[in-house]
Amino acid sequence: MNLKDKYAIVGLGYTPQGRVPDRTASSFHVEAISNAIKDAGLEKKDIDGLICYRHFPSLGGEPDVTPYLVAQQIGLAPKAMSQEANCARSQLLNALGWLEAGLCNYVVISYAHNPLSGGRFFGEGTDNYTKAVFGQFGATSGYAMAARRAMHTFNTGPETWKYIAVGQRKWANLNPIAMMHDRTMTFQNYYDSRWVVEPLRLFDNCLVSDGGRACVVTSVERARELRHPVVSIMGIGQHNPSCEIEQATHMAGPTGAKISGMTAMEMAGITLDDIDACEIYDCFTYTVEITLQDYGFFNPGEGEDWFKDGTIEPGGRMPVNTSGGQLSEAYYMGLTQLTEATMQLMGRCGERQLGPKTNTKTPEIILCSDNGGILQTHSTTILRRL
Amino acid sequence: MVYQKPLPKPNADDRFFWEGCKEHKLLFQKCLDCGLVRWPPSIICPNCHSNATEVIEVAGRGKIYTYAVYHQAYHPGFEKDLPYVTAVIELDGGPHFLSNLIDCEPDEVKCDMPVEIVWEDITKEFSLPKFKLVR
Ligand SMILES: [Zn+2]
Repeated sequence: MNLKDKYAIVGLGYTPQGRVPDRTASSFHVEAISNAIKDAGLEKKDIDGLICYRHFPSLGGEPDVTPYLVAQQIGLAPKAMSQEANCARSQLLNALGWLEAGLCNYVVISYAHNPLSGGRFFGEGTDNYTKAVFGQFGATSGYAMAARRAMHTFNTGPETWKYIAVGQRKWANLNPIAMMHDRTMTFQNYYDSRWVVEPLRLFDNCLVSDGGRACVVTSVERARELRHPVVSIMGIGQHNPSCEIEQATHMAGPTGAKISGMTAMEMAGITLDDIDACEIYDCFTYTVEITLQDYGFFNPGEGEDWFKDGTIEPGGRMPVNTSGGQLSEAYYMGLTQLTEATMQLMGRCGERQLGPKTNTKTPEIILCSDNGGILQTHSTTILRRL
Repeated sequence: MVYQKPLPKPNADDRFFWEGCKEHKLLFQKCLDCGLVRWPPSIICPNCHSNATEVIEVAGRGKIYTYAVYHQAYHPGFEKDLPYVTAVIELDGGPHFLSNLIDCEPDEVKCDMPVEIVWEDITKEFSLPKFKLVR
């Protein structure tokens, strides 16, 4: 059974993003979902599958944001429904499974949260007491440990990561809805940003964002009847090392990206040479480096050479995170990447559109990654314009 | 003075570990079938699924697999320690174990440096295994 080019992303839903006070997380879910349905040219009654991205405890007295609350608020009684409690990142795999099994025709996937206005930053949780007693909290520390081990294993460090932070910022400066649209970044700005958990600086960290994002997935056959150019899922893969970073030996690679990427490329029947741009899950700059390295774009330690001279920037030979990504646009988990890749392939990206406008190749195939936990889960999706 | 940081919350799987700490013993489960020493604790061996287990004491020496230097406190109890170091210790004869490196300057720490255990008695009930550089 080959899923290549069988399913498509047909509608995208955005909300106000950045610091958006006085809004519940569920309000962003319903706004994003409603916009995605409208964008696809569908009606509410067409949607029969609902997948909410990972669950976070609610803030500000809001009821727990469950998928059934979201379904109630958009007035749906889906045939299939799910929400991840953590970061397994199998939303798109689940959607394809439901579609392939004939259980659903149109599945909507949404993510929403209000952590910036609600005052929750990644990492204050004390749910794992064997870590908290030593002062180990949150995602930055785990990725800092991975990045530190990588610095010990091969040539990498801030000298490499600055190209990622600055390169993505240049894309954000072309994206009017990016949180960092109006703020440029130089290498010196990068080095001047404060340490959070060393070796990661503030500018190595993704943004914290209020807002939501959604997309609608259906068959390519149905997509052909809808209003946008057809963007198909050409290949998909996942690999989940799962081990907590404190016991992991994969922190300097190969991470889950290696097998996940190979699986997706094999399904798509392509090589790296066929890929026109990448949308890489960028919770931290190091995540972008290790993901591209494990996909095979460069050998361990060659990242600094590969990134320099503007490789990933507007005008570069391999554009990466063309919305600004989670470092400089906004953080909506793996939907930041999937929606941007789809928008680019549909040709809807305005000033940052890949092609003549940004002195890059008009894209036919874009590689997306998603990653959860501390390098514990990884999924790869290859999209193309049919 | 009242201890300001989070305290361990022993559970059915790891109670033996915290009871060992109280006696300044670093205890882990070892699989009687394949020999794997495991952490975090579990009722079966992740390698071979055997539930034949013995609890062994490891010596508290090892080297730094990796580490992180906190410049920001995520819990008020750690504010006065900034900058502080968390580290994964590759224990001799034991698993990779998260702890703190103490009595050192963050700038002198490097991966693979040898370390040894230092016990911190934080309350009457609990002691924490921490580590320092072997000088
Ligand atoms: Zn065993």
